[in-house]
Amino acid sequence: MSWQAASWLLLGGSTLLLLAGLPVAFSFLAINLIGAGLFLGGSPGLVQLARNCVDSVASFSLTPIPLFVLMGEVLFHTGLAVKVIDAVERLITRVPGRLAVVAVVAGTIFSAVSGSTIAITAMLGSLMVPLMIARGYHPVMATGPIMAVGALDMLMPVSALAVLLGSLSGISIPKLLIGGFVPGMVLKAIFVVYIVLRVKMNPLLAPATSLPAHRGWERIRPLVMYVIPILSIFFVVVASMSAGWATPTESAAVGAFATVVLALAYRALTRERLLAALRGTMSISGMILFIIVGATTFSQILSFSGASDGLVSMITGHNLSRDEIVAGMMLVLIFLGVFVDQVSMMLITLPIFMPVVHKFGIDGVWFGVMFLICMQLGLLLPPHGLLLMTMKGVAPPEVRMSHIFRAVVPYVALSLAMLALVFFVPAVAVWLPSVLG
Amino acid sequence: MQRIEALYGRLLTALALAACGLLFLMMIMICVDVLLRNVALLPHVRGLAWADEASEYILYLVTMLAAPWLLREGRHIRVDIVLRALPARLGWYLEWFSDALACVCCVAMVAYGTKAAYASYASHALTIKTLVTPEWWSLAPLPVAFLLLGIEVLFRMVRLAQGERAPRGDAVAAH
Repeated sequence: MSWQAASWLLLGGSTLLLLAGLPVAFSFLAINLIGAGLFLGGSPGLVQLARNCVDSVASFSLTPIPLFVLMGEVLFHTGLAVKVIDAVERLITRVPGRLAVVAVVAGTIFSAVSGSTIAITAMLGSLMVPLMIARGYHPVMATGPIMAVGALDMLMPVSALAVLLGSLSGISIPKLLIGGFVPGMVLKAIFVVYIVLRVKMNPLLAPATSLPAHRGWERIRPLVMYVIPILSIFFVVVASMSAGWATPTESAAVGAFATVVLALAYRALTRERLLAALRGTMSISGMILFIIVGATTFSQILSFSGASDGLVSMITGHNLSRDEIVAGMMLVLIFLGVFVDQVSMMLITLPIFMPVVHKFGIDGVWFGVMFLICMQLGLLLPPHGLLLMTMKGVAPPEVRMSHIFRAVVPYVALSLAMLALVFFVPAVAVWLPSVLG
Repeated sequence: MQRIEALYGRLLTALALAACGLLFLMMIMICVDVLLRNVALLPHVRGLAWADEASEYILYLVTMLAAPWLLREGRHIRVDIVLRALPARLGWYLEWFSDALACVCCVAMVAYGTKAAYASYASHALTIKTLVTPEWWSLAPLPVAFLLLGIEVLFRMVRLAQGERAPRGDAVAAH
């Protein structure tokens, strides 16, 4: 079979099955079974496929995925997240669009200790959007900042999908986790500036409301009591990693354990809540891990069939410059983000993209951070962006889908600007990982 | 039939609970390893050498234990953009196609997974890392998990036949 036919069968077939609504894991598994039968020597290849499925998830580098998710789930199921919002609300007082800014700052704190974009969006959306709507905020101003900050969780160091990207691509996981930090924080700061300017230009978007009457210690008490201890978990994770006490993988367990201990210290952790957090964790990470089981041999089959080599030669044979090729890959990712979920994006593209990255000597961390920004964009792009659906699910009924679509537009534009910045100034992504070694 | 389905659902929930317990155990085990490696709490004990390997097996087991439960809960994500755009009845037919294909995948994985595990058992193959274990121990859970998944796919087909002629509302979000 020619490499072109193999490419159509493997890449086209898996995309077709995905679009037919087959669960992602089974879409890849079905194509892998066909591919192993055709390209890996029939029955022995199929037995090898079964063996690879076992090896795929029995990997220590994947352990942060459930552990990062568990950190966030404990935070949300124990009610500590509500305390964080309250604390931030007491601190931010005289800012136009105050509650929207509170949402961004609270989301930033959550993203330091949670590896789940959906959980953050659902949590902030269910708690803050009704409050903002009740205080006269326009639905666009109430929902946009929350979806934007939720999506950015993918770029922050405690990110389950960044771990998966590192694991699948071979890019250093710790460097990837740290590499997203600067672009993520800069983008959040830009979001705040945008909200303030937008509300200054049109105060009706977020009417000023009476401030809670907290003075002195009462004002900063929740910050000291809840925000600083919760943020300290983030520093425990980074410090244990940087100081060499724990490997990056182990630091996820240390962080999860610290979260559980903190929840216990606040007497917020009951057996039921811990179980709910563990079930939530299993629901998210079990599904991601099972996709890895289903897709594990996909890149190997692509390679054996000649499709990988053929496609890479085709891409590199057009005398395109390194930057043109990277830009092309980012455009493909943004396009895919409109239709398919983030895990599928990685599984479809990485077997082709990574050989190109290696061939051109492209910095893996730089490429990986841009990959993460593209996946983050995919969460926000209408009509299928997952966070748009999440927001619709938790927002009050008066928030219509058209509001949600309009709400993300400026944040998508700002994220695209950040992608361009990282593209033209790679130091934004690679400086911090190089400093921290 | 409904009673069998409910009982099966309870089995899947119990397996998922076991996965939750294992996950918690893994977290504690890694932390104990880090603690013992950095703090001289016990004489002559510097960490748990087998902790990394045990974590790998736990991660694999957790995935296998949770997968059938996730299918019951409709939590194996998929792309439903086309299903939603199509007329409901056509979407319903596509659900049948998906279930049939998932069923074929499960049968194949049970067959080849069993073949891999049995061949390993018959040849007395060992996995030699920090721990030395018969290799079939790690291979055997795979076909069992796919058998459970396959049975759940059949129950899904029964529910599809009895339910509304429209696509299901399964999850599309992963994180």
